[in-house]
Amino acid sequence: MAAVYGVTRFEFDEENDLKSYTVFLADVVHGRPPWRPLFLIDSWGKWVYRAVQRAAEQLSLPTTRGWDARYIKGYPYLAVIETTEQEAKKRAPLFRKRIRPYIEDFNAIWEERKADIMNTYKELKQRYGLKKYEGIKKLSNVELMDLFDDYMQVNRKQWDIHMEFMVPAYYLFGLFEQMCTELLGFGYTDPLFARLMAGFDSMVFQFNKEIWRLGNRAVELGFDKLFRTTEDAEELLAKLEESKAGREWLEEYHDFLEVHGWRNERMLDWATPSWIEKPSLGIPLIKVAISSGGTYTIEERREEAVRERKEAEKEVSDKVPAEQRGWFEALMKAAQKAGYWSEDHNYYLDLYCNGLGRWITREIGRRFAEAGVIDDPEDVYFLIADEIEKALIPMGKNKLHKQVEVRKKEWKGYLKVAPKSYYGNIDLVQEVLRKDPVISVATSVPVVREDLKADLYGAASSPGVVEGVARVIMSEDKLAELKPGEIMVAPGTSAPWTPAFEIVKGVVTDGGGALSHAVILAREYGIPSVTGCLEATKKIKTGDKVKVDGDLGVVYILR
Amino acid sequence: MSGKWALWFEELGKEDRELVGRKCANLGEMVKIGLRVPPGFALSIEAYKDFMSMTGVVKEIGKYLAKSKPKDLKQCKQASVDIRQIVLLKAMPEKLEKVITSHYSELSRRCRTDEVAVSTRSAGPVSHPGQYETHLNVVGKSELVDKIRQVWASTFNTRSLIFRSRKKARSAGVIFTADPNTGDDTRMIIEGNWGLGESVVGGKSTPDIYILDKKSLKILEKKLGPKSRYVTFKKGGVVEKKVPSEKSGKFCLSDREAKEIGKLGKVLEKHFGVPQDVEWAVEEDKSFPKNIILLQTRAEVIAQNKTPVDQVVDLMLGRFSGGGGFGGGKM
Repeated sequence: MAAVYGVTRFEFDEENDLKSYTVFLADVVHGRPPWRPLFLIDSWGKWVYRAVQRAAEQLSLPTTRGWDARYIKGYPYLAVIETTEQEAKKRAPLFRKRIRPYIEDFNAIWEERKADIMNTYKELKQRYGLKKYEGIKKLSNVELMDLFDDYMQVNRKQWDIHMEFMVPAYYLFGLFEQMCTELLGFGYTDPLFARLMAGFDSMVFQFNKEIWRLGNRAVELGFDKLFRTTEDAEELLAKLEESKAGREWLEEYHDFLEVHGWRNERMLDWATPSWIEKPSLGIPLIKVAISSGGTYTIEERREEAVRERKEAEKEVSDKVPAEQRGWFEALMKAAQKAGYWSEDHNYYLDLYCNGLGRWITREIGRRFAEAGVIDDPEDVYFLIADEIEKALIPMGKNKLHKQVEVRKKEWKGYLKVAPKSYYGNIDLVQEVLRKDPVISVATSVPVVREDLKADLYGAASSPGVVEGVARVIMSEDKLAELKPGEIMVAPGTSAPWTPAFEIVKGVVTDGGGALSHAVILAREYGIPSVTGCLEATKKIKTGDKVKVDGDLGVVYILR
Repeated sequence: MSGKWALWFEELGKEDRELVGRKCANLGEMVKIGLRVPPGFALSIEAYKDFMSMTGVVKEIGKYLAKSKPKDLKQCKQASVDIRQIVLLKAMPEKLEKVITSHYSELSRRCRTDEVAVSTRSAGPVSHPGQYETHLNVVGKSELVDKIRQVWASTFNTRSLIFRSRKKARSAGVIFTADPNTGDDTRMIIEGNWGLGESVVGGKSTPDIYILDKKSLKILEKKLGPKSRYVTFKKGGVVEKKVPSEKSGKFCLSDREAKEIGKLGKVLEKHFGVPQDVEWAVEEDKSFPKNIILLQTRAEVIAQNKTPVDQVVDLMLGRFSGGGGFGGGKM
């Protein structure tokens, strides 16, 4: 039994824990690379599991009461809190009532909660008179401490909302996919399925459109060559400062960032910079937009996608026996909305809220370093919330170098660890997934089919088969390295990676299931993808020739 | 005793459910009210019980189980194979065989042929489709006796057996006298395919669908199913075949045939007092309306007037407790 970062909330007691739970699965989708203590303990650990358990109770999910978690060697592991058969029976009637509104009108509930959370962010800023990003520097230490505490509650609310939707989204999407397979004989890898899910406009595309607009504007102002030839993004920004037209573009870019820049380089982490703080982060995407010729094709394609979707809906409905069509269409509609939510929510929930978290903790780090509490502003992420409170007022009295030093050492140790993918009885994993289909959002259980003799087996995929040259992209700041027609291999993708889908021919990822960003986007762009391969970025090297078979959900390395 | 081993359909009625199972009893009832049902007879549950005791199978199985005491799934499977073997090795007792073969000869005579093709199906108080062996095209006395032993070996439950003549069906399917999903009892739904009804009942091929107004028998909607496969006879059994292209694009029923099936469905619903789920067939070499025959009827299971949303929730709850799961873990 080992406490992680000196905190005993999530320590793993192998013997007893495996008596209570069937299997612990590594959260490879979110938790790799290992988080530093502040985020792991006081954001992820404090709110995420609580929110899943809360959603399970509120929805009265029959077979699961949410997830329990353990931290093993710096990595989060999840276990489903399974119910007994009797409990499941008792919980079913209320579940029936609570899930209804999501089937009837998923979108209406989401629009309401979306407005609520955006308003909560706005109110938080207003309470402290914060209009611009830099305004935070003017707060007193007392105000900053209050803001930090208030933010934690906003963070809580964000996760609660997140799970209120994520759970029904997975249930509906999963059921629909299953029904398509059982009733009509086509699964999520079928192009028909992809057509059914495509053509919905979400904030991801709105955001992307802005990126394209900025790219076109740069070309208009004559910076085409500058963007194409200047490799270093910081250098590019400096060069733009030198001319009037350049400053004009930068001003537009900053206006864009004040609105849309609340996103961190790693979506779920405070220890990486946000776009608004480090404008160079957005440049690779703008470069991708410019190099693809400046036409934002997804927008033009949407009309066609909508038409194709409607045709697909009709085609599918017609195949369903008339007497079953009623429920099938209700389910299809709900599943489509669930898919749309899955794409839309990142912007409003994960990205925005963690952008705020970065903003506040970074300011605390800056002041701590100035007052000699810690050496480096970024060291703040090796503290936990209680220690931050202790040192904020009066600032400078308590020094926290020692804590930073010990935890940094521990964290660096975890970085070298390749996490074991599970503890416990893996043979029963399908049973566990049946009881709690949502857990596949965080864990990957690839379906290995020996007969295919593939090099990698995915947990999900989007249809199509393609061969091409692989490029391993470990983080989004490397996206500009992608060349059109290559196959992108990544740990996972999130909203900020979207522009890459414009130029690549196929996508392979370590993490992610059927509702993951990579699969949904690949479907939208009509390119093959295989996700949840666990070791794609390890086994595939840049320059390898690979065959991505999205129909079978496997990848072959041809070398 | 032997008088109760085999019974003609016309000897049966609703009251004989315990003796021959609900399915046979309903067939008897259909004959009584003058509906066209292929001629046939039933072997009673008594016949099965007596077979088991007369041959000594009951005792042998008792001994086997006392000795082997299966503990896990693997051992249970083995026990099931062994017990089946015990039954299969037994000859049909002479008295029982005589009753069966004499009924078979009489059935052949009624059908004006030497050796009539019959289908055998097991039938208990409750039907369990797909759990017991069914033989659809059995010809000849010795073959028949053999098949009976096989069916009995496949069930460790007291079941009766139905035997009836099977003729080449041009089309077959089911009619629900109320919408089974919504409970709407103003509409009737017919599903049909080419060939024998097994392709429709088994859900293997997407059938043609007719929706009829119950009152007027007007066809409200008809939908051409792709009907890619159909089931037909082959020597000593049945076979699934690809529907020839000139037929898959055509409806398997004419409108007046559909209406006639609707009319018969209404008669049955009125007689039994609740909506019915009826199997029908259209025989190849007879003319309308004599070509339409009924194979079986039972009370329809209705999803209690549920809204589509309720049905989605039902499905979801079914996934938790039953097989199948959610998205196969691929979500």
